[in-house]
Amino acid sequence: MKALRVAGVSANTIFKHKMRAFLIILAIVVGIATLTVVVALTQGMNKKIMKQIQNFGPDAIVVHSGGGKIRGPSTASEANITRKDVSDIENIDEVKLATSFQVALDMPIKYGNKFTTSWVWGVEPSWKDAWRRGASKGEFITDSDNDQLSKVCVIGQSAAKELFGDANPIGENILIESVSFQVVGILEKRGLSPIGTDFDNLILIPFTTASRRLMNQPLYISTARVIVRDPSRVETVAGQIKEVLRENHHLAATEEDDFRLSTPGEIAEMVKSASKTLKLFMWLVAVISPFVGGIVLMNIMLMAVSERKKEIGLRRAMGAKKKHIIVQFLAESIMLTFSGGAIGVGVGIAIALLIKLSGKPISVTWQSFAIAFIFSTLIGLFFGIYPAKKAAALDPATALSQK
Amino acid sequence: MIEFKEITKSFQSGSVRTDVLKGLNFKVDKGEFAAIMAPSGTGKTTLLNILGCLMKASSGSYLFEDIDIETLNDDQLSDIRNKKIGFVFQTFNLLERTSALDNVLLPLVYADNYPVDAKQRAIKILESVGLGERINYKPSELSGGQQQRVAISRALINNPSIILADEPTGNLDSESSKEVMNIFKTLHGQGRTIIVVTHDINIARNAGRIIFLKDGRVEKTEVVS
Repeated sequence: MKALRVAGVSANTIFKHKMRAFLIILAIVVGIATLTVVVALTQGMNKKIMKQIQNFGPDAIVVHSGGGKIRGPSTASEANITRKDVSDIENIDEVKLATSFQVALDMPIKYGNKFTTSWVWGVEPSWKDAWRRGASKGEFITDSDNDQLSKVCVIGQSAAKELFGDANPIGENILIESVSFQVVGILEKRGLSPIGTDFDNLILIPFTTASRRLMNQPLYISTARVIVRDPSRVETVAGQIKEVLRENHHLAATEEDDFRLSTPGEIAEMVKSASKTLKLFMWLVAVISPFVGGIVLMNIMLMAVSERKKEIGLRRAMGAKKKHIIVQFLAESIMLTFSGGAIGVGVGIAIALLIKLSGKPISVTWQSFAIAFIFSTLIGLFFGIYPAKKAAALDPATALSQK
Repeated sequence: MIEFKEITKSFQSGSVRTDVLKGLNFKVDKGEFAAIMAPSGTGKTTLLNILGCLMKASSGSYLFEDIDIETLNDDQLSDIRNKKIGFVFQTFNLLERTSALDNVLLPLVYADNYPVDAKQRAIKILESVGLGERINYKPSELSGGQQQRVAISRALINNPSIILADEPTGNLDSESSKEVMNIFKTLHGQGRTIIVVTHDINIARNAGRIIFLKDGRVEKTEVVS
């Protein structure tokens, strides 16, 4: 109860020194608002990454032709995966399905007098199960399309918008590198790929048509997508696929892989490392800002101790113990930083929502509130303890004799 | 009640040592109104700080109601100040921007048990010194005499064993000085122990006994008739 009474003294003091309180709160507001915005931005980015990984598929492994490091999908021109490779992969117990597709990047597309470029993928009907993505309108590529090397296509929504605007593209003919294809369906929307490319700027044609009529790659497959039964076993299955492919490709132990495997974990690492520097910078700013606020607090509180020596002496003469003086000054610091934290988190969220309006990834969650409140209280404690101890250490007789 | 035995106090500043009190011996009994009379610069404030448990002596023994003050730690000294001593200062030492009532209640913030009737008690004391109408006035809205009466009320709120007054009329005009000394006399009449430290013989004569200090020692004691 005595501590509460002493804390009540702190609250009274704050009300009696409004300008000083305002300055401290302002400094903390700036710091905590910055921290809140950074937390919201980081969480927004993480959410976006998670969504991109979700787009990739948490249970998926993509097998690319050609070795080296991760980049975009391998194209038909560098294809070296065989039908046997895909069939052997499919025979791995934990593999649910595997689908092959041929990839060509940035193919010229024409409809009437409109031009665009798009990824063109030659796919089998199982592509739709492997990507959990079929036609939102019209038909998807069928087995018979593949058997007959049909010149039909399913068009992604970005490509459709580019070529047809708001008109219905189904039944229309487009030219893909001067070969005419009839649009039979519109692909379900997907958004961005893990590497940030537009997954809707994509045109699907039959695998066989792509291999023989468009990409001149009748023997090999550029890419395969594998779905595993248990998402938690993705990395293990990736290891098994690697073994199968190295054996099939007769690679010696000293030779490097002539294929690449993309797993959700790898994709997450790749996306995270791309934003690592930015995140580091943001966190640096976020941590420095409240720290500066803390220094302002300490400075003003030290001045307050100096100004209030006589009051401290009087309180000591009236029976205040050293610990009461510490509690009084510390409570004052914490009340101020906590108020600054509460206002700061509000201001930070308002700024974060404004940034969100401009299309940046922002996510405001309870963690923003928790971090801001914990941080502001810690600032009050950390930067308030020194002035509080200094106040308590004053000799009562000397403090009382101050003019 | 209070006994100083061979109390000395020295201050060291670099290599210079100043002996302010050089073996003080005196007693103040319970219910007594004593004045300690000393010219300026003769260790009056130091004596008051020791008497008020704000400072410890360099040597000697200070007994307060049979408690050896020199053996107490900082927290115990705070308890003595809170429970047993009521201070009245020359410059009043009231908290600015704080009402008369809250100034009077200040020592209770640090009391072990906050009385449920604290506010009523404070108002009653303020009424007894003629400030019943001004309980919500801030120090800046009160005259010097009124401020000192608030300070006396504050000294009484904890019902202390002794009231220690340091030049209580030093900043007051003669009319207010007379009023303040009359309050002390009334309090003494009610059985309270009061020690007034002053350099003004006219003020000292309000007490029952005057202890004269000279060169850090008791020069003489005089009973006021």
